[in-house]
Amino acid sequence: MKRFILLFLAQLLSLAIFAQTESDAILGVWESGSGKARVKIDKAGEKFTGRIVWLREPNNDEGKPKTDKNNPDEKLRSTPLLGYRLLRDFQYKGDKTWEEGTIYDPENGSTYSCTIKMTDENTLDVRGFIGVSLFGRTDVWKRVQLKKK
Amino acid sequence: MKKFLVILFAFFYSFCFSQETDTTAVEDFSMYGEAELAGGGKRFCTSKVFDLSPNKLISIGYDYQSSYKLNLGAIGSNAGQEITTSNNYGLRVAANVPVISKTNVLLNIGATYWDNFYSFDKEAAINPLALSLQKYGLRTMGLNFTLFKPLNEKSFFILNGSGDLNGNYSFNDFQSLSYTKISATGIYGWKKHDRLMYGFGIARSYRVGEANYFPVFLYNYTFKNRKWGVETLFPAKAVLRRTFNSRTLAFFGYELEGNSYLIRNRGNEFAPGIDNLELRRGELRVRCVFERSIKDFLWVSIQAGWRYNYRFNVDEKEFFRGFGDDPYLATNKLTNPLFVNFSINLVSP
Repeated sequence: MKRFILLFLAQLLSLAIFAQTESDAILGVWESGSGKARVKIDKAGEKFTGRIVWLREPNNDEGKPKTDKNNPDEKLRSTPLLGYRLLRDFQYKGDKTWEEGTIYDPENGSTYSCTIKMTDENTLDVRGFIGVSLFGRTDVWKRVQLKKK
Repeated sequence: MKKFLVILFAFFYSFCFSQETDTTAVEDFSMYGEAELAGGGKRFCTSKVFDLSPNKLISIGYDYQSSYKLNLGAIGSNAGQEITTSNNYGLRVAANVPVISKTNVLLNIGATYWDNFYSFDKEAAINPLALSLQKYGLRTMGLNFTLFKPLNEKSFFILNGSGDLNGNYSFNDFQSLSYTKISATGIYGWKKHDRLMYGFGIARSYRVGEANYFPVFLYNYTFKNRKWGVETLFPAKAVLRRTFNSRTLAFFGYELEGNSYLIRNRGNEFAPGIDNLELRRGELRVRCVFERSIKDFLWVSIQAGWRYNYRFNVDEKEFFRGFGDDPYLATNKLTNPLFVNFSINLVSP
């Protein structure tokens, strides 16, 4: 009996480790298809979020750091884009797919439903859509490796 | 054994829940600047410049032209006639869905449906073309695609094609698909930076009423202040864009609009033996357009302007005239009214 319990727990542990490893494969720094921004994906609880950590053009015409000037909520328009959390609430659904999240587009201040599919260890298909997936657009993000200083 | 199980459970618990920590503590963002793509990926330019007008996934619109005169020439034994429209109106529906949307290739597939009805109230239509327009109007249904293929971070290729069925047909009296009109455009271009892209190419188009081939020039530019921009596919269209904010835009410019329509002698409007004519409609629309998001992805577009008739002539059959001077079966002249157009649009992410 003891042996059975031990085997059962060991099995459970290995399954948990495997699931954890697969779901966490998305963690890291990613560059958007346009190359204009890099996003760091983190995990908070069981949900995944992503923040802008680099902008190709970080400053506006006045030389000041860009803010979320297109946000429909006027109070949020002074929020700096660097550090902005544009991916929210993603959950791992298996098959290298993270769903039920949203993506925010600072270019137009819109928030879209979003699904992320990892096509290989360095590539994400990030699909923002309206209502149904058909009405959407996929952006391909590439993993970036930080250079050691 | 109990001790072992407790340790095992503690390890298991700590492993599962240690990941719940939010790792978003204050960071030095400068460390993310020095980086390279993992696996040696290649970067490609995108299909847009800053603030370019949004792609319309679905558009449902209504077009209305005010009263104008048609001076219609004789067709065979049928006399010519000068007749005035009380109005000229129609539905304009379009869908344009991205089916492949990758960094290295974008493919949009679209469909259009336009109808155009004519009503004359001051005098009875006698001329067969006027009769046909009054009874059946003109319809266009088509499928189209646009392929954007970036070659690297600086250059790209665009291929656009469409097949349209134009004529005086109705849904219960459809016309043969063999009369489909094919248009295409190929452009090679450069994206200099996030505010400028341009390119040169060649087009086969019916925008002037009949098939023709001509060079095209693509030029999309957003000024540094991000308040103004230019969107051009010369000579087909050119607009100056005013960006009030990301959800409110205005445009001032023109567009060439037209097609060649199969006019069948559906109800013996024409003399016996006259059938399957081609009406060459080409017009210039000078206009102001105002577009605004009314609710998230739902945009309204209102345009008003002046419609200048360039061509509304009739050929005996479909053929390629090119820049030649083959005579028309009937030459028609139209005066130039004001028009308005209203549409509701679902815009793309």
